[in-house]
Amino acid sequence: MSEYAVEIDHLTYRVKRAFTLEDLCLRIPAGSIYGFLGPNGSGKTTTIRLVLGLLRPAAGAISVLGHAIPAEAPRALKRIGYVPEAPHLDPTLSVSEAIWFHSRFYPSWDAAWAERLREAFELDPVRPFGRLSKGQKGKLMMLLALAQRPDLLVLDEPTDGLDPVVRRDMLGALLDYVAQHEATVFISSHLIHELERICDWVGVMDGGRLVADVGMERFKTGMKRLRVAHGPHDTAALPFRVLTRSPDNGSGTESWLVRDWAPEMASALAAAGGDLQQVIDLDLEEGFVELLRSFRGPAREPAHV
Amino acid sequence: MYRAILFQQWRWTRLVVVLGTLAAFAVPLFSLRGAAAVMDHGTAAGFLGDLQSWGIAYPTLAGALGVLMAVTLWAPDHRGRHVYALALPVPRWRYVTLRYLAGLTLLAAPAAGLALGAFLASATVSLPPGLHPYPLALSCRFALAVLVAFTLFFSISAGTARTAGVILGLAATLVVAQILLSAAGTDADILMPVLNGVLSPPGPFAVFTGRWMLVDV
Repeated sequence: MSEYAVEIDHLTYRVKRAFTLEDLCLRIPAGSIYGFLGPNGSGKTTTIRLVLGLLRPAAGAISVLGHAIPAEAPRALKRIGYVPEAPHLDPTLSVSEAIWFHSRFYPSWDAAWAERLREAFELDPVRPFGRLSKGQKGKLMMLLALAQRPDLLVLDEPTDGLDPVVRRDMLGALLDYVAQHEATVFISSHLIHELERICDWVGVMDGGRLVADVGMERFKTGMKRLRVAHGPHDTAALPFRVLTRSPDNGSGTESWLVRDWAPEMASALAAAGGDLQQVIDLDLEEGFVELLRSFRGPAREPAHV
Repeated sequence: MYRAILFQQWRWTRLVVVLGTLAAFAVPLFSLRGAAAVMDHGTAAGFLGDLQSWGIAYPTLAGALGVLMAVTLWAPDHRGRHVYALALPVPRWRYVTLRYLAGLTLLAAPAAGLALGAFLASATVSLPPGLHPYPLALSCRFALAVLVAFTLFFSISAGTARTAGVILGLAATLVVAQILLSAAGTDADILMPVLNGVLSPPGPFAVFTGRWMLVDV
């Protein structure tokens, strides 16, 4: 079995002239929780739909759990739990009917666990799906995805717009499942702090391109803001990457946004003539914003790790 | 899977199915009893004439049932942009086939209702000499008409809005072209050959045309 649950190679997808995914390459390690970040319209949902075989790529190859997509999508989908961006269940079905309907399509369905989750999520079995609150709909979608006992969970902004209590319940159930079954999770969200807590790998999309694909720890520890005096003009020879540099107001120093930073690299900067005055930690959200800002800057360049 | 799809479609179409079944059951009964009442005061020709006036009800009901069922079956999927259906671990052809078969199963109820009404009406009304009831033939023809209407509109509804637009656009183009030709004073008739081809045997809608009679000579 492949060490990757999802492998995307040189994927291209176009929606008329409005939007394109160009030459996307992405690997999701098996057993990882992969956070998929990006601003609205960056291509996260499109990528997820391509991974599930809901859309057909113009070029490139996708493999999910060893199955070629979209050719073998039905076989792959038996092992995938999917929570879409907007819940699309039949609004006329009650909670118990929706669960029964969904279970008919999954041989691995765990009815007992589905019932336990329904009780834990406090979902009224006779209430129609169309009359559930947003949080209840989200819980039901998560229940359906988990009770089929998937090897891969694909979650497209599953907790966006939900209150903290509901988010905690849903993510708690997700993490319990992952801990027990070593499943892979591919989750997109705008809630960066939430992803920071649960993910061990992160990918960042912008404008249909993957601008970062890196382990969470490396992303968090490698992204720094440096305050540098007498910084060398040419930074290409440095062992870390300078994403942006801008002068600090009146202090004679520069503020550098860097990635792949490690403390021992200070000596390399000193050897190049730079005087490192301060190293400022960035959390994931700051790193994410700065990364996008640098990627969208005039000196746009590929930033794959 | 079939049971699940059938249950779901029943939830969506039960009003169409129940009302359609009642109407299909009632039309032969009302038509024959109405014609029999006329005959009490008139002739066998009057009987047939009155019965014939009900003839339009059968193809109309068959067409309406087929169209309503087909459109209702796909409406929820269209509303959800097919995301839920496409994410199910079922090949697309199989999902469509299941929906089609479940639709046919539900349409069996009005077809059976009409057969029941036709046989019941035939058994309870005494006919003038020389006239014979054809409940089986009428029931089979009604079922075939429902099948044709459902199949055609199911195919169109299952496709994209673009596909439906192309089909409607072609039909509209044909009508507009005929109007322009007529306005130009030419004798060219492009509409009638098409209509004849569709509505006359072996055209797909031939089953809807002609006389629909429960009782005939």
